[in-house]
Amino acid sequence: MNTRIEKLGLVTLVIAQGRLDFSAAAAFQAQIEQAVAAAGGAGAAMVIDCAGLEYVSSAGLRVFLLAARSAQGAGLSFAVCALQHAVREVFELSGFSRVMAVHPDRATALAAAVPKPA
Amino acid sequence: MESRTSVPGEAAQLQALTQFLQDFCATAKLPPATTLPFEIALEEIFMNVVMHGSPAGRLAQVEVSLALSDDDLTLAVEDDGPAFDPLALPAPDVSAPLEARRIGGLGVYFVRQMMDAVSYARTGPRNQLRMSKRVTRSDAAPAGTNPG
Repeated sequence: MNTRIEKLGLVTLVIAQGRLDFSAAAAFQAQIEQAVAAAGGAGAAMVIDCAGLEYVSSAGLRVFLLAARSAQGAGLSFAVCALQHAVREVFELSGFSRVMAVHPDRATALAAAVPKPA
Repeated sequence: MESRTSVPGEAAQLQALTQFLQDFCATAKLPPATTLPFEIALEEIFMNVVMHGSPAGRLAQVEVSLALSDDDLTLAVEDDGPAFDPLALPAPDVSAPLEARRIGGLGVYFVRQMMDAVSYARTGPRNQLRMSKRVTRSDAAPAGTNPG
């Protein structure tokens, strides 16, 4: 698995690619924790772009759960986007798509991540 | 078409087992959408054995077999660890709020939901979990299409 992190203003964009299985989960979790710590706190946002993510098991799903919780704890808004079919199925079966924001694509997720100035 | 392999019950073997499954499915011309639920089932059940199936001081041995019939692919995972029926675990609460979420039990829940049939048996000193699902080969016409 391959992870890239980009800062777009107030948004920390995590681009996840490949297979998030048990073997990949610990490293991905460490990267997410670093990114949450560096994200900037209240008013900022984290979006995990899953367009290149082919596979997520329950061990991988655990990282999304911990990420959502630590983002929430840091006052960040948190969302995932662009889930491939197999990954979306895992999110839906587990009910995770009901406890975290899931957007169809990156543009929608970025637009929703930070409130527009009035 | 059948194939089997045997590995020690340690996490480092997950990659080799996944490769074994992917090679089998490629040879059988099964499309990725068909093989992904089996990859998840294999990881969830194998990692259960890794976490719980090896008593102190002895590594469980895990045998994985695949059998493809006309319509179904069957994955069997056997181990020589202590008797343990993962299907007896309570179902996870998939409607709990974020704060109360736990991961325990989700893997087996995925297997139950993604497979058509799942069964557990304790045979002598071995646990056996069999999982099967109807599959479509990529060289066959997809179900519901009407050529011409």
